Amino acid sequence: MLQIDSRYIEKALTANALEELYPLLQNAIELEHSTIPPYLTAMFSLNPGTNPVQRQIIHSIVIEEMLHMTIAANILNALGGKPVINSADFVPEYPGPLPMGIGNGLIVGLEKYSTDVVKNVFMEIEEPENPIVFKSVSLAEMPTYSTIGAFYQAIQQKIEELAPDELPGDKSKQVTSSFFPADELFPIYTKQNAIDAINIIIEQGEGTSTSPLDQEDELAHYYRFEELYKGKRLVKDDTAPNGYSFSGPPIPFSPDGVFPLFPNTKTSMLPVGSEEWNRMNEFNTSYYSLLSGLHTTFNGQPGMLDNTVGVMYDLKLTAQKLCATPFPGKPGYNIGPSFEFIVPAGS
Amino acid sequence: MSYLHAPRLVFTGDFLSDVSTVNNDTAHYNNATFQPNFQDPGQGATNGWWNPEGGAVFDFQNCAVKQIFLPDGTTQSSPADDIIIGQAVVGAEGRPTGKMVDLDPDAQMFSALWCVQLRICTANGDLLFKGDITTTSFRDLQMRQLDGGKSNGQPLGASWTSVITNVEWGALAEQSAFLKTLRTTTQNNTLAINMNPFGYYYSHNDGRFSLGRIIGSIGPYFENEPFTFAAARRLYGINYTPSARGTFFSISNFLVEPDAKRVSVDFGASFPVADSIGTVNYKQDLRLAVSKIPQAGVASRQTPTFYINPNDFIEIGALDYQSDPNWLNQTGGIVSFNNLPDTTVSALAANQLILVSPSTSQPGQFAIIAREAIDGLVARADNFIQRLDDGQSVNIDFYAYQWGKLLPNASISVTLDPPTPDTPVGPQNPISEIYGNNFPAEGLTFNGQISTNPQGKAQMQLTGNAIYSPRVYIDGQIYFITYQTPTVDQAFGTEQVVVHLRDYFEEIANPVWGDISEMMIQYSNLYPIMSKYVVNLADPEALAEKKKILIFAFSRDMNDTMHMPVTRDLSSTKRNTILNWLHNPQIAPKPVVRSEAREAKAANPVAPGTALTDKQASYKEAVKAKNGSFPGFAATNDLFENL
Repeated sequence: MLQIDSRYIEKALTANALEELYPLLQNAIELEHSTIPPYLTAMFSLNPGTNPVQRQIIHSIVIEEMLHMTIAANILNALGGKPVINSADFVPEYPGPLPMGIGNGLIVGLEKYSTDVVKNVFMEIEEPENPIVFKSVSLAEMPTYSTIGAFYQAIQQKIEELAPDELPGDKSKQVTSSFFPADELFPIYTKQNAIDAINIIIEQGEGTSTSPLDQEDELAHYYRFEELYKGKRLVKDDTAPNGYSFSGPPIPFSPDGVFPLFPNTKTSMLPVGSEEWNRMNEFNTSYYSLLSGLHTTFNGQPGMLDNTVGVMYDLKLTAQKLCATPFPGKPGYNIGPSFEFIVPAGS
Repeated sequence: MSYLHAPRLVFTGDFLSDVSTVNNDTAHYNNATFQPNFQDPGQGATNGWWNPEGGAVFDFQNCAVKQIFLPDGTTQSSPADDIIIGQAVVGAEGRPTGKMVDLDPDAQMFSALWCVQLRICTANGDLLFKGDITTTSFRDLQMRQLDGGKSNGQPLGASWTSVITNVEWGALAEQSAFLKTLRTTTQNNTLAINMNPFGYYYSHNDGRFSLGRIIGSIGPYFENEPFTFAAARRLYGINYTPSARGTFFSISNFLVEPDAKRVSVDFGASFPVADSIGTVNYKQDLRLAVSKIPQAGVASRQTPTFYINPNDFIEIGALDYQSDPNWLNQTGGIVSFNNLPDTTVSALAANQLILVSPSTSQPGQFAIIAREAIDGLVARADNFIQRLDDGQSVNIDFYAYQWGKLLPNASISVTLDPPTPDTPVGPQNPISEIYGNNFPAEGLTFNGQISTNPQGKAQMQLTGNAIYSPRVYIDGQIYFITYQTPTVDQAFGTEQVVVHLRDYFEEIANPVWGDISEMMIQYSNLYPIMSKYVVNLADPEALAEKKKILIFAFSRDMNDTMHMPVTRDLSSTKRNTILNWLHNPQIAPKPVVRSEAREAKAANPVAPGTALTDKQASYKEAVKAKNGSFPGFAATNDLFENL
C-alpha cells in the first residue's frame, strides 16, 4: 500500500508560517514531475500505430501530472516561494524511490510498457487512500496510512489556517495555458483558489472517496491504470455494489507492439561517440532544455510555457526514435530514454 | 564585413542537422503516385534517401570557443587569457531547437537556418551571451574534402553568414575583456556571424550520422552592411583539380584594413581538408601576395594552372598551417597578417590579392591557386532567397564593392532564367512527370536594370503575381533570377535570387476536409515523422482530435521555431484555410461538388528535352551530389604538388 513518509505530513501540519510550506510544495512539484519519466518511457515503448488505448490513457495521465506540477508551482509562487526546476536534485535517479519516501520504498524505474509495470508501479504510485473495490472482495477494514492525497490535504489545511485571503505572491508569476481548461488551471490569487486547485490534484489523482470519477467526471488515474491492468473499461453498472464494474469494452493489448526497452537505460551503457550515444545526448539535451524552460516559466516568465510545449515535442520525437533503435551489444533490447540531468554546455 | 573585424572569436565543433529527405525528390510530391516505400531509407527515387524520418532539427553539438583575435592584432587561445576561451557554444534552451530546411525540392542548394539561438555558456550553464541568428541560407558551396567524402558521403562545404540579434549579455560577460570590447565595438546590439559547415554525414559511419563539422566566427556588426554575406573582398580558386572536377580554395573572403596595416583572409570555408572533421595533413608551401599585374585566369580542364613570376607580386607571407593537423579547427582558417609594409598596403588598395605556391614544373615561377575577383569587383544580393505570395512585394537589396569599398553607379542587370522543360515519366524518372521551373514569366514583376546609389546600394522591387499551379502537384513555382554586373568574373560566375512564388489560392472561410486533404496528405507523405509519432496528417479525425496543438503550431509566426509547416512553404491563404478547418473540423465531404481550380495550369513554354543552361545543368548535378546519388568524387592525393 502506497505510503508517504509521515514526516512530510507532520511538517505540513506543524507549520507555523507559510514559508515552512515552501519546501513541501517544492517536494510536491518534484513528486509530480518524478512520475512523468516512468509513464512516458512506458508510453514511448508502444510501437507507433499499435496499442492506441494504452497510449491514450497514459498520455491523458501524463498531461494531468503536468497540470498538477503546474498547479503546485503556482501555489508555491502564490505563497511567495520560488520553484526550482533546473537543478540536478530535481531529477530522480531511476530506478529509485520517488520523492518523500513515496510507497515505502517503492522502487520506480524506466521500463517498457507491461501490465506488470502498470499494476506493480503505476497503480501503486496512484493508489488512493481508500481504493474502491469494484465487484470483487468486500471492503476490508480501512487502513490508516497516509497517501499523496493526505499530504496535499495537509498543505491545503495549513494554507486555510495560515494564509491571508489574498495570497502574498507576485500575481504576474501565475502560469496559465490555453492547453488546459480554465477551470483546471487558473491563477492562484486567493486562499480559496489554492484550496480549489489542491482539490483538483487530489481528485484527478485519486478520485473522490465515493466515486472513481473526479469533478470533471473523468476516471482518476488509479482507475485508468486499473483499466489497462484488467484489460477492460470501467463502466457504470447498476448491478455492481459500487455502481461501477470492469464490464466495459475490452482493451486489447498486443505485447508484440512494445519495443523491448532495456530497463533503466543510461547514457553510460552506450558506446561513447556512437550514433546511439549522440542521440541519447540529444534526448537529454532536450530534457535539460525543457526543465530549464519550465524553471524560467515558473520564475516570472509565464509566457515561456508555449516554448516548452515545443521542447516537449523535440523530446518526444528523439525518445521515440531511441525506443526504435536496437541497443548496441544487448541483443534483443532497444534503447530507452534515460531522463538524466546533464548541462549541455558541460563536457 | 564585420565577422572578420576585431574583436572576433572562432568556435569549432559539430552541428546536428536532422533534415528530412523524402522531400528531396520532386516526384514524391505527387500524391497520386506516392508509394509507402518512398518513406523508407535508401537511395533512388523509389526510396526516401538518407533520413526519411528527419524532423528538421538543427543544433550545435560539441562546439567550443577556440581562440579570439583582438584589435591590436594579437590572438589568444588559452582560457587563462580570457574567460570566453574554451567555453561551450550551444543552441536554444527552454525553447525548441532551430530548424534547417530547403526552399523547395526544385531549389535544394539554399538550405536555410531558421530560428537558431546561439548561446555561449560555461560548463555550469552560466551565460556569457546569447542571441538569435537571423534566417540565412547556404552560399558559396565549395569542395572541401580531399578524400572525396568517402566516409560521410558529402565532400562539399558551404557558408552561412548572418547577424545575431536580441543579444543578451550574461553577468559573466563582465569578466571577459574580449566581450567588453566586442560589446562596445558592435552596433545596434547586433553581432555578425559566419559559419562554415562541412563534413556532413549521410552515412551511418563514425557515429556521426546527421552530424557535420562547423567552424564559426563572431565579430562586431556595423550598421548598413549586408546581412547574409560579408562586405568583403573575395578570392576565387583558379587551379583546376581533375579529381574534384573543379577547384579547391574556390571562394574565400578577406578584409584589408589599411589603418591597421592588416590583411585577414578567411580560409574557413575553403581550406582543403583531409577528412570530414577538418584534419589538415597536406603541407604545401602556400603564400599570400599582391599581384602587380591584373589576373584574369579561370580554371578549366584545358588550362588547369596559371603562373606568375615572383617579380610580378609582392609577397605578404606564407600560411603557417603545416605543423598542426588541427590547425583549421583551432584557428577557424582565418589568417591575419599584421604590420604590413606601406608598399604592400598601398598595393592592396587597387591590386588583386593572390594565393600562390612555388611551381615544380616551372622552377622559379609560382602557380596561382586563387586570385581576387577581377578589378576587385564584388556585387551581391543580400536577401536572395524569397518566399512570396501573390500580390506581395519585396525589395531585394544589392551591394556593389570595388577593392572592398562600396561602389556607386554600378549597373546590375537582373534576368529571369529561361524555363526548364518538363520531364516525362521514363527510365530516368520513374515515378511521376516533373514540371519545369521559371514559368510563367508573368508570375514575377521586377525592373531588371538597376544601378547602385552613391552609397553603393541598389534596391529592386520584386512582386509576385497570381499563378495557377504551373507545377500541378507542388504548390507554386521556383524562379531563378540571375543578376550580374557588365563584366562577369567566370572564376566565380553569376549568382541568383531564388523565389518560391506560391500559387494563387483564395482562402476558404468554412472549409471541409476535401478542401485541405490534398495539402495534408502531401505533408503526411513527405514528413513521416509527423504521422508516425505526432498525428496522422492524412486522417481528418486524428487531426480534429489534436486540433489544439495544431492550431497552436499553424498559427505561429514564420520566425517562430514551432511554426508549421516547418518547411515554411505554404501561402498564407492556404495556411489560413487549414486553420479555419481546424477551428471547425468538418470531416464529411461537402454535399455539393466543390469547384475545381478555375484556371488551367500555366503551360510550360518549352518542350521536354530542351537543353538546360550550363548553370541549370550544374545545379542538377549539385542536387544529385547533395542527395548522394552522384557517382562520387574521387580522392585527391597530391593537391598542388606538381604544379
